[in-house]
Amino acid sequence: MENLEIEGSHKNFFIPSVSFNAKTGICELSGESFLEDTVEFYKPLINWVEDYIELVHGPLALIIRLTYFNTSTSRSILDILNILKDYEESGGEVVINWHFDENDIDMEEDIDDYIIDTGLDINKIPF
Amino acid sequence: MNYSKQVNILDYHSSFDQDTRISYKGPIDEKILQAIGTYIEGVLNKNQKASKKVFKIFIELAQNISYYSAEKNTMKNNKEIGVGMVIISEAEDTYNFMTGNLVKNDDIVSIIEKSEIINSLDREELREYKREQRKLPHSQKGGANIGLIQVALTSSHPLDIEVIPVDDDLSFFSIAVKIDK
Repeated sequence: MENLEIEGSHKNFFIPSVSFNAKTGICELSGESFLEDTVEFYKPLINWVEDYIELVHGPLALIIRLTYFNTSTSRSILDILNILKDYEESGGEVVINWHFDENDIDMEEDIDDYIIDTGLDINKIPF
Repeated sequence: MNYSKQVNILDYHSSFDQDTRISYKGPIDEKILQAIGTYIEGVLNKNQKASKKVFKIFIELAQNISYYSAEKNTMKNNKEIGVGMVIISEAEDTYNFMTGNLVKNDDIVSIIEKSEIINSLDREELREYKREQRKLPHSQKGGANIGLIQVALTSSHPLDIEVIPVDDDLSFFSIAVKIDK
């Protein structure tokens, strides 16, 4: 299975950096996410995670270091987290580390909302 | 060409006070998003916390206009982009943000209803409402139906909504929000 790599950018729209590794199961999503077509951008990420679960069936660590995302993105993040929750419930090993600026109270609230929403153990790591 | 027949520019000018930092009317395309976004990041960056909030609110409201405004401009690439107004002003303790755009009268009831729900909820209830709405599928436009809820959460103030009937089909819909400095 191939890795998924997308280089982020901060231009008219903000593309997050994506680095999903099929060998290690470490999936990093960082930078800022504000896209012209959110659903289109996140579709390959969601497909990759689903393929990894089906084909590799190994441990998966999602590392999020987003400093900004819009509400449209927040819906796509929920889609990914829901897939991970299903994987965990079916016996998969899932770790989620969410790094956030300790001064960004709104971001911390967002993470808490995802924890309530999904029932996942998301490790909140302030920086 | 006599532009004054189309635009009363003095009226337009007089309607803004000296605290106005930005006023824009036109299609909210990606270049405008970038221009105003960069302005917010730059000029307001003396106050990073407020700047981030102003930016977040700007993106959500601007995207609402570009998706849902009943007034569209067809751009060079044949894309249809929603037209609206964006006004940012600065008071002593707050940044004030205002957007306005035409909406179809058919959509007014649901917009007002949603705004009234938002304004009736406290912060915890708002977060719960956001979680509920976020579980619904993406809208046709790719939005998450939670833009206005997020604006209220980010600003920590009620949304100041106004609807002015224009004709049988359209109304002018405006939202004003405050962000504490």
